[in-house]
Amino acid sequence: MEQSSTSALLQGTVLDLASDVVSALRSGDHVRAGGTLTGGGAGEGVARAAVRVLGADTLLPTALLRVPPDPGQLAVFKDAVAAHPPRDDAAPAVVWSHWAMARALRRLEQPLTDPLADDPGAEPGAGWLDDAGWQLLTHQLAVLAPLALPGEECAVTRAARRRPVDVARGFVRAVRRRDWQQAAGAGRWLTLLDGVPDSLGLEAGLDFVRLMGGSDPRVALQLEAARLMPAGVLL
Amino acid sequence: MPSKDKVLEEVRTENIDIEAALDPAEPDGVFRDSRECAALALQSGGTSLLLSPPTPRPKKG
Repeated sequence: MEQSSTSALLQGTVLDLASDVVSALRSGDHVRAGGTLTGGGAGEGVARAAVRVLGADTLLPTALLRVPPDPGQLAVFKDAVAAHPPRDDAAPAVVWSHWAMARALRRLEQPLTDPLADDPGAEPGAGWLDDAGWQLLTHQLAVLAPLALPGEECAVTRAARRRPVDVARGFVRAVRRRDWQQAAGAGRWLTLLDGVPDSLGLEAGLDFVRLMGGSDPRVALQLEAARLMPAGVLL
Repeated sequence: MPSKDKVLEEVRTENIDIEAALDPAEPDGVFRDSRECAALALQSGGTSLLLSPPTPRPKKG
């Protein structure tokens, strides 16, 4: 009983946080991005956990629009990175999402003049993606959509770049399965990849995802990210 | 002495299964019905070929 109410509270806070990020991406206002965290609505621990779940996308307005993060939001973000490290036996996606958050902090500290200069030796392995079928690849990339950023260079982005057709195929599958979150995440990746088949109709596909699933702030967040990419689609 | 709210908050935080939320299993698929396929085809102006059902192909042998 306690577990389920806690999960619901966490999910609700993640949605609120994602809504804040969507508002910030649409308006360019960093204050909106920190509203849930600084407004005192969620408890401290739940807010921290929600930031960990939303991951590096919590700072997406900073990454894409280059607006400085709200100081209170940034403090919670740092707390989330410190408080929720991956366990030793964590799944690769968990390890990578934590790496992405740490990466977002490093980008803030040594800004965007040299975004590729991180130490590649510190990266987790990404062999599980090379071995994955196109369905699993797309699912995992959608989970790791916060890594789909212009100029990002890591093993996950390299794995995605090697398989644009597989990601396109996974996008179609996600749309046909009504998995809007996966479709939006895969679509965000596709806006960054070369070699995506023109016949995919990505723009129309993302329009459809917005129409069907855009009321979910986590879906809307990925669609806004896709819109704001350098080669972003017009939504 | 910690407040009741603080204690409740700590209990809640300990109960949160972060890892499950970070690597969710893929939900069961629910495929779109043909009415929605038609709506998408109309909306896209016929450009999204891959969003249409695959063309049946004859089996070899």
